[in-house]
Amino acid sequence: MITWRLLLTALVAIVVALPLVSEAAETLPQQAVEILHTRCSQCHGANVAMSDLRVSTREALLKGGKGGPAIVVGDAQSSRVIQALTHLIQPAMPPAGDIPADEIATLREWIDSGAEWPQADASAARDPKKTWWAFQKPMRPKVPQVDGARNPIDAFILQKLAETKIPAAGEAEPLALVRRAYFDLHGLPPTPRQVKQFLADPSRDAWECLIDELLSSPRYGEKWAQFWLDLVRYGDTSGFEQDPYNLDAWRYRDYVIKSFNDDKPYDRFVKEQIAGDEIYPEDAFAAAGTGYYTVGTHRDLLFKVEDLNRTETLTDYVGTTSSVFLGLTVGCARCHDHKFDPIPQRDFYRMQAVFAPITKTDVFLDYNPARFFGVAENSRTFRLRQIGDEISRIQKPYKGTIRERKLATLPKEVQVAFDKEPEERTPREAGLVQEYSDRLKIEQEEIRAELSQADLERIEAVERRLLGMFSGYGAPPIARGVTDISREAPKTFIALRGNPDTPGEEVGPGYLTSLGGGDISEPPLHANTTGRRKALAEWIADPDNPLTARVMVNRIWQGHFGTGLVKTTSDFGIRAGEASHPELLDWLATEFVRQGWSVKDLHRLIMTSDTYRRGANPAAGVAERDPQNLFLSHMNRRRLRAEEIRDAVLTVTGSLNAEMGGIPVVPPLEKEELYGMIGNPDNAWPVSPNRDEYNRRSIYLLSKRTFPHPMLEAFDRQDGVLSCSRRDESTTAPQSLTLLNSRFMMEQAQAFAAEVKTVDEAFSKVFGRGPTADEQASVSSFIESQTENRGSREAAFTELARALLNANEFLYVD
Amino acid sequence: MTRRELLHKTGGGFGALALSGMLEGAAGSDPLAPKQPHAPARAKSVISLFMHGGTSHVDTFDPKPELTKRSGEHLSAELAKTIKTSFIHDPTKAVLRGSPWEFRPGGKSGLLISDLYANVREHADEIAVIRSCHSNVFDHAPAIYLVNSGSQFPGRPSLGSWVTYGLGSENSNLPAFVVMSDGSTKSGPPAYGSGFLPAVHQGTVFRGGENPILHLATPAGVSADAQKETLSLIGQLDRRHLASRAGDTTLEARIASYELAFRMQAEAPDAIDISSESEATKKLYGIGDPLTDDFGRKCLLARRLVERGVRFIQLYSGTNVGDDWDDAHTDLVGSHTRMAGKSDRPIAGLLADLKGLGLLDSTLVTWGGEFGRTPLAQGKNGRDHHPYGSSMWMAGAGIKGGQAIGATDDFGVHATESPFDAHDVNATILRLLGIDHTRLTYSYESRDQRLTDVHGQNEFTDRLV
Repeated sequence: MITWRLLLTALVAIVVALPLVSEAAETLPQQAVEILHTRCSQCHGANVAMSDLRVSTREALLKGGKGGPAIVVGDAQSSRVIQALTHLIQPAMPPAGDIPADEIATLREWIDSGAEWPQADASAARDPKKTWWAFQKPMRPKVPQVDGARNPIDAFILQKLAETKIPAAGEAEPLALVRRAYFDLHGLPPTPRQVKQFLADPSRDAWECLIDELLSSPRYGEKWAQFWLDLVRYGDTSGFEQDPYNLDAWRYRDYVIKSFNDDKPYDRFVKEQIAGDEIYPEDAFAAAGTGYYTVGTHRDLLFKVEDLNRTETLTDYVGTTSSVFLGLTVGCARCHDHKFDPIPQRDFYRMQAVFAPITKTDVFLDYNPARFFGVAENSRTFRLRQIGDEISRIQKPYKGTIRERKLATLPKEVQVAFDKEPEERTPREAGLVQEYSDRLKIEQEEIRAELSQADLERIEAVERRLLGMFSGYGAPPIARGVTDISREAPKTFIALRGNPDTPGEEVGPGYLTSLGGGDISEPPLHANTTGRRKALAEWIADPDNPLTARVMVNRIWQGHFGTGLVKTTSDFGIRAGEASHPELLDWLATEFVRQGWSVKDLHRLIMTSDTYRRGANPAAGVAERDPQNLFLSHMNRRRLRAEEIRDAVLTVTGSLNAEMGGIPVVPPLEKEELYGMIGNPDNAWPVSPNRDEYNRRSIYLLSKRTFPHPMLEAFDRQDGVLSCSRRDESTTAPQSLTLLNSRFMMEQAQAFAAEVKTVDEAFSKVFGRGPTADEQASVSSFIESQTENRGSREAAFTELARALLNANEFLYVD
Repeated sequence: MTRRELLHKTGGGFGALALSGMLEGAAGSDPLAPKQPHAPARAKSVISLFMHGGTSHVDTFDPKPELTKRSGEHLSAELAKTIKTSFIHDPTKAVLRGSPWEFRPGGKSGLLISDLYANVREHADEIAVIRSCHSNVFDHAPAIYLVNSGSQFPGRPSLGSWVTYGLGSENSNLPAFVVMSDGSTKSGPPAYGSGFLPAVHQGTVFRGGENPILHLATPAGVSADAQKETLSLIGQLDRRHLASRAGDTTLEARIASYELAFRMQAEAPDAIDISSESEATKKLYGIGDPLTDDFGRKCLLARRLVERGVRFIQLYSGTNVGDDWDDAHTDLVGSHTRMAGKSDRPIAGLLADLKGLGLLDSTLVTWGGEFGRTPLAQGKNGRDHHPYGSSMWMAGAGIKGGQAIGATDDFGVHATESPFDAHDVNATILRLLGIDHTRLTYSYESRDQRLTDVHGQNEFTDRLV
């Protein structure tokens, strides 16, 4: 099949392409459609539709774009397509150069003869599935020679801009650049000192030095780990009604942060997560990567349906692994062959067979303490039961007396109701019991106040004992991961129509057919595991795998530019279409592998390009011609992501606690924020005992599946149930309400006001710049009037802080 | 100064921040702009009355004389083995238990409804009961997810979010999809979540108190004047910021979102302020009576939201703690007397009020839950979870009332005649709104995803209207 990529560099491409055209596209409609596809669809295709015009279907041509219908059936001369190609109307097409006269003649003939679209069965003869670009190993393209290209990325980008005659924006202001770099690499704003330092650095390589410095800070891993956690549907709880804690999930979170900070080669990162236990048996930290399997919603919690639990768990492994690491939606082939991609249903089950022997296990990060943890826990539990027994023995008489006393104050009818056994109560009495039960609640303090000296001493002895038991107590050096049950795996059958109750043919583990296929062989006799995941991991992380590197560089690209070169970053199948810059994607993918799969080098490469450093305002006319900025003539402005907003607020108010890692932090929430939580907040949202913890970075906050953190949720944090490859960037009124009125924001504004003494300082902290003369004047009168409204200058500065923290200049990165 | 006065006073001030044409610019990309359905709609809004925790069908809308007659006997082992139960250890050993409530004919149609819903029964002629709902999911959370989102696993978009995705909203000052509960449900937010749809489609939980929407109230200590000045400074800063970034519609939309927030601050408390309602109306809903006050208020709010163009309103009856249909495990009579008692008059009032105001024709009211309860006794006084046959009903939207569709077997164990699953029901609800459930799609992970997945073939609108 021809892809339009082949025709980009005119001469070479035509030589290659023409024979293919004549060979493959025999009929007139096929030739015409092929020409439209190769010449026009880059700007008027399924993905991009400049001037709203698409050439991808007959209907789209008839509908046309902003200028009206593109073709008039039976009348080539009146058709805008022909008029544009022959320069009869402006803008003439294509923007650079003319297309060969014989191609125009073909199009004329086709339109005059009725503009029939090729028959589906005829085009099926050239099955695109077999030749889909993403399934071919990327060949390192030659970097085009383009004047003014700072690095290869720029060469590819500038070449396209020249072809489409879209002017590039100039370099961003230094302040915009330094903010962009900090937010993109740390997810945090620069301090005024950091801004000043960069702006004042006269050296030619100031930018490169800044990037190196940012990449070497541990703040980097905290920012980029979040994107990976989104992908692997990370959460600290397991889901469903009880939503139990996944106690050691955070070990995986810390593993991801450390992996990014260490610049762990991506191929190794992949292998550790899929099969760290099999590939690196001596390295406990690598095995902790298999926490990947355990940090999603636990699909094995349903009651009395073990078969369903198992099926759903395995389905999740296939779906998530294929979309995260391969950018393929193998999950779609569960019930039938994939509708669009060459993934037969059989492949789904061959991949499922890889995971069939999985069992969850403890990974001992520190062998001896981990080994003895269970024993210690056992005796601790025994002792806790002793203590519980003692406490209730001491408290029982006091509870009785206090209850009697409280009950006596209630209406007679209520007393009677409470005195009855539950099943003896009438419905009305049951209602009364419910209504008044709060009035009989006994607080610990009430009991304590009445304890006799002797009982008080007994309680204090218990407290000392408890303290003694728990001093030095902490999370064990254990991570959760997986391994195989044994060398033997349970059998895997194709489930007819996806229903495991109707098993079809038995299948063994294997690789995806469209990527070469092949079976995974039997493990050696002495093996403890099946080696299936090891084989899969090595196959995915192989430099020859056509997808792995492309998918990852595209994700990192999206992280910097907002949109990937392939828009659907977790789907490189046929529905994804072509990349906006196919050669660039392939060049980056091969470069990534060549540089040892270093993610940090990839950031460096991207960020030192002119393309990355452009301003966020498009040049004149570009917004109309390329509204999606597909050709990257300028930087995409972006809103801060949920975590960045909270972290940035904490940073500028000076409240951020930069401590890293550890058990999830549970910050206090307002009562109205807790509304809707399942169960008693004492158990379901147990606020961290140490106040200093509240202001840790957002990545360390408890990620609870049935209760998203309200502020983060408002700003599009995903719910953590399904893999999320790209956050929404919505703009809603509840976001504004949160930033204006929540207690968190008010407290932060107050903290800010307590520290900041001048308007200049306030602006510098939040925006990285001082106020303009105009702003100085209006803010001065604002402070004056708010001092009057709120009674103090500090309260007025609180209001100033609220305003600055709500401003677009703070919430957006140019 | 009240909020409303403030709004009027400052409308020119803060409102003037809206650059000319900006709102239209923002509206162009507004995912909640009203959209045309695929076919003429029978209803514009939905009020979903979700009795969560498990409401017994054989004690409310599915009369089973045979069950009563055979009370105390066992099910045949053959039949008993077809069901899974949650707390009943062995269904073959448990005994059948007839309903302690009388079923009586209601309305002209004579549709049989039990005394638990005696007030609703008076509207029998408006109600079409579907007695043949079924699934095989017998735990609360997964069953609630299934009914609401078509999957027993959390994470897929809920019916309400699909509806707002498909139809948008008629009122941009209020959320399009409002959820009211007693504070806590057995499923948590995934039951009204937006899954892979844009987050703007998720259900907004209305809280109790005068500020139904989270963070609607100005912070304590900040006067209206102070708030107004702070907003005005935000506007100044944003306009200056925008001036050098002309044409960025996202920034414009965000400026507009402050104005919308401001309007919401006025409109939402107004929507929930029922002081303007007549005493007769309040009484109709059971407001003022301690038993029915809470759910009555919610039902009245639902009507007020429908009047204001809110697309989808879901009311949860029952909480995870305290008031709970699920207390029927050990106390069928107590739990159901109380829970039906709390909702019967309010629901009857809602139907009467909607009808009186001429809103019933354009509003679909649905009543149901995640499953029914076992015809078998659990212990001495209870019934267990039972998904294999259960009842729901629909009213309004031009539905022909006074009829029962489908049936369970003699004991209420299995849906035997015209069984409908959650997808069939959801497909039907969509169709009543003018939406073809096979065409309401959203591309995620390379698939055009549907609420009904590949199901919903037994959509039964034609039997309702």
